[in-house]
Amino acid sequence: MKEKDGFIDCPQQQVILYVEKEDGKYEPMQTGSYITKNFLDDYEMKRRHLEESLKRQVLSCEVSPIYYYMVLEDLTLSELSARAGIRKGKLKKHLEASHFNAISQKTLQLYADVFNITVLDILNLLTVNTDDSTNTNTGS
Amino acid sequence: MSTFPYKHKMAAHCESGAVTSLLNNAGLDITEPLVFGISSGIFFGYFHKMKSFTFPTFIVRNKPGSIRDNLAKRLGIKFHTEQFHAPDEGMKRLDELLEKNIPVAVQVDFFYMDYLPEWERVHINVHFIVVVGKAGSKYIISDSYFPNLVELETASLRKARFAGGSMSPKGFLFYPESIPKEIDYKKAILKGTKKACFNMLKIPLPFLGIKGIRMFAKKIVEWPSFARDMEHLSHEIMKINILLEDQGTGGAGFRFMYASFLQQGSVILGKPEWGELSKEMMEIGDGWREISLFASRIGKNRELGTDRLKELGNMLIGRADVEERFFRRLKNSLN
Repeated sequence: MKEKDGFIDCPQQQVILYVEKEDGKYEPMQTGSYITKNFLDDYEMKRRHLEESLKRQVLSCEVSPIYYYMVLEDLTLSELSARAGIRKGKLKKHLEASHFNAISQKTLQLYADVFNITVLDILNLLTVNTDDSTNTNTGS
Repeated sequence: MSTFPYKHKMAAHCESGAVTSLLNNAGLDITEPLVFGISSGIFFGYFHKMKSFTFPTFIVRNKPGSIRDNLAKRLGIKFHTEQFHAPDEGMKRLDELLEKNIPVAVQVDFFYMDYLPEWERVHINVHFIVVVGKAGSKYIISDSYFPNLVELETASLRKARFAGGSMSPKGFLFYPESIPKEIDYKKAILKGTKKACFNMLKIPLPFLGIKGIRMFAKKIVEWPSFARDMEHLSHEIMKINILLEDQGTGGAGFRFMYASFLQQGSVILGKPEWGELSKEMMEIGDGWREISLFASRIGKNRELGTDRLKELGNMLIGRADVEERFFRRLKNSLN
């Protein structure tokens, strides 16, 4: 790749790209991310749709908030189990809405630490926000 | 923060970048492509199903940690390494080293690097950063993926260093302890290249090396069966671009940086044929870049039917064919 073809104007995400300089040497240049520059809006839209869909599932008691964050943060059951230090069998139950209320505060904190959020963030998912267009319970 | 006495430089890749940065700051004049090439960094691996991944994925570099290990072995550099059971102990040890003004590379979960934009951060336990100091409750970080030195809260660094799960860092840290006065770069370059050729051509596993590229080409048509819906599939297909270009590769899946290694190697070894090979590797990288651009385009347009995925598969087969020929020639050039 030639240096002139490598430049991408994207200050939000800078990367190093190895290019052919004018003197024929292959050297690094600091440039921007192609995908962030061109498709960040598409990523954000898909992310929003996923959040909305998962939230609907939480509010209709199909899944628990733990499931919501596990999917959103792209973790497998095995990976979340190892990271939170919670047995897989127990974790499986925690993904179900019907078992969510039985989770202790201490265990919720273990999940919150992995997800890098607060316990309150997890609990807030269960609250009905009347401004939230994703809420299936409004207007019923 | 720019006045902090550590020379920070962005790099293509986090591990080769951290190793290069530590060595440069310790007085060794070595480039990232040389570090990458000598440590046999170039690679390919395809993983169709793994417990720790939610979706099929691939890698374009060797096993995390082996850049440091291989480089140390081949250049005679001694790195001090430590791991910890208890987070308190690991954080205390880091502080002790920083008090002695020793910059330290640490292995972390990328997800907790709060200074990076949210869309970049994923849970992956094999990111390497250099901790160069501490200011109050914050650590001063040199991250190859960020243009300047940055601050990271103690709580975030602690979480990142002691995240559990696959390839858990367990507080792993390292720094160069001794660097030989005389280094035989010729021998190291040849050894690193020989191993890279073996890794690409000979590893007897169907998902690694050139065979891995072929498996990827064949299996990509099965990706829709793993996806929740079209948007999920689109996201995963567009991640091909991220893995090849943005997630610390120097562009087109490390192939551009490897071309730079061969060009530098050509001069050090006095092998003009490596100059030709480096050009060829640059062109191979251009082909991979076409794949990453194609993947991002079909992902964005949701053109993800079997025909399009087959087309992508055929492009991958093309890369497997040229890389197989290339690495055979590179291997022959060592004789």
